[in-house]
Amino acid sequence: MTTPYTYENSRRLFEKAAGVIPCGIYGHFSPAPLVPPEHYPFFAQQASGARFTDIDGNEFIDYMCAYGPMVLGYNYEPVDRAALAQLEKGNCLSCPGPVMVELVEKLVNTVAQMDWAFFAKNGNDVTSYALMVARHATGRKKIVAIRGGYHGTAPWAQTFGHHGVTEEDAAQMVRIPWNDTAAFEAVLEQYPGQVAGFIATPYHHPVFADNELPAQGYWQKIEALCRRHGVVLIVDDIRCGFRLDLSGSHAYFGFTPDLVCFCKAIGNGYPISALMGTEAMKSAAAKVFYTGSYWFSAVPMAAAIATLDEMARINAAAAMLAYGEKLRDGLVETARRHGYNLKVSGHPSMPYLRITDDPTLMLHQQWCGECTRRGAFFTSHHNWFVSAAHTEEDLARTLEIADEAFAVIGDNPQKK
Amino acid sequence: MNHDTVLAQLNLYAVLPNLEDLVRRDATAAAMAKSWNICIQFAVPKGPAAFVRFANGACETGAGKHPSPDVRLMFVSCRHLNAMFENKGIPIPLKGFTKLPFMAKEFSAITKRMEYFLKPTDDLLQDPDYATVNTLMTLHTAGRAVAVLSGTDAQSKAVAGAMPDGPMVMKILPDGPAITLTVTKGKITMEKGEHDRPAALLLMKNLATANRLLNQKIDPFTAIALGDVKIQGQIPMIDTVDLILDRIPHYLQP
Repeated sequence: MTTPYTYENSRRLFEKAAGVIPCGIYGHFSPAPLVPPEHYPFFAQQASGARFTDIDGNEFIDYMCAYGPMVLGYNYEPVDRAALAQLEKGNCLSCPGPVMVELVEKLVNTVAQMDWAFFAKNGNDVTSYALMVARHATGRKKIVAIRGGYHGTAPWAQTFGHHGVTEEDAAQMVRIPWNDTAAFEAVLEQYPGQVAGFIATPYHHPVFADNELPAQGYWQKIEALCRRHGVVLIVDDIRCGFRLDLSGSHAYFGFTPDLVCFCKAIGNGYPISALMGTEAMKSAAAKVFYTGSYWFSAVPMAAAIATLDEMARINAAAAMLAYGEKLRDGLVETARRHGYNLKVSGHPSMPYLRITDDPTLMLHQQWCGECTRRGAFFTSHHNWFVSAAHTEEDLARTLEIADEAFAVIGDNPQKK
Repeated sequence: MNHDTVLAQLNLYAVLPNLEDLVRRDATAAAMAKSWNICIQFAVPKGPAAFVRFANGACETGAGKHPSPDVRLMFVSCRHLNAMFENKGIPIPLKGFTKLPFMAKEFSAITKRMEYFLKPTDDLLQDPDYATVNTLMTLHTAGRAVAVLSGTDAQSKAVAGAMPDGPMVMKILPDGPAITLTVTKGKITMEKGEHDRPAALLLMKNLATANRLLNQKIDPFTAIALGDVKIQGQIPMIDTVDLILDRIPHYLQP
């Protein structure tokens, strides 16, 4: 049996951080949804491949992959080499480097049906830009999005009632359920000639809830409705992008959007995001003034080129799918042996797991915590991420840890 | 609903019921109310109404109209009612004129005693007995306020509508007190005590932590990470209750 980890240094540093940083650690890295937080590390020290080590010296097989950016492995040599080579030439200069054009050409040749690209830093930068482009292209205001869908933390992307969000911020957003084309039709009927865009992730991956793939024909129907009503179809491929298909998740699901947002896996951890679009959207994109201090940094662009090359060379999407399927099957079987029903939803490369024996999630939270303090970094609220760096050895150890953790939670009273 | 209407409901349905805890927990208030036998009705025509009844040394409050109050106090508007709660307005008595001296003296005194416990100072909170009563009343007020705001305050309604159904328990460790907030299709109700199978749990390490959390003197995210506050289960319920709790100071100033 594994001796559970302890986190004295993480706790000490968090106390220090809490004195000078709002929340101590803010945003999606906040320990608050890691239940129970005492089973989780708060600060990482170093990483390699699919593993990271925290500041207490505990090593974890990482199933969050920095919440998506790590796709080839931490400290992946070909990507780091390309980034360092660019750094020696220059990074943040007074003109963009040729690497920017090279990366756009690489992306245009990689991502299906997209004719141009525009770079920023974070996912939210490009989802917000996509909305502006859609509004300018159509002369309309309303944006249809999916209830529970996440597109960043800009006020428009949050809902009224959340801190700092006014009713006006969300006034032009219309939220509909996932996989409900009739609801989209109803909105188009309710707001004739007023809907500028439809934005959604390739499949529905909310937090704290089972993930849902698109129903048969869903995207094709959405695309047809967008075409009929002159609505700009925007895919937020920030989380799924390049994990399902190197050509983009729209290629994986067989439809053609007008705009696609990428981030996370595009640079294997180097800060870059991209909005890509069809030729028809290019002049509208050119009209919208949008920029940022670091959006022309050359190092992340060089890293992105290397990342795209490596993902193509090793067929990363296929590798992640294969590992994800083995992980899913192994965990489900391990759970079954202990008398638990583990439901895995979403794509195998980005699985969302839930022990269904306890609808409150408390049992699932306990199991994820017990796995984490034994070396498999599992969150209970968010989909996990598989990378191309996860190995058979990682898989075997993960299943061993999962087995131990199920034994620890035992015949929990929360199990019905 | 406008600010005055929401505030009137908070005053009647979240603040006024503290008289029950006050008489039960505070010896001074208990001694004051020991021999009282009176029922007082507060009502805004076509608006909120509530009653307070003192009998047998206990206090009972309730929403709506009592069938036979001894004193009936009318307020021309929610603003008028709120003014009384700020000691700036005088109600219009419709029944119980002979009881008006009681209202002016005894009832006024017990509401001042309630206010004393609801408006703590750092010095007062050093007294463990005071802190116990203050924290209990703050927890109950917060729970009732969440219930009121989920149906009245536009921001709270917007987020409550997306909450999963079920009971959420807020408990001060080790042995309580606790409240259960039950969500049913976006409507929240509050009961004192804890549910045996909560969908979500928010556990506060001790009285001091609870007091600081409920009075918004500590950041919940930090408190959770440090283990002073523990959460389990359907975290989205807790997130939403936190959003609604943060709306209380918009109406009720501590």
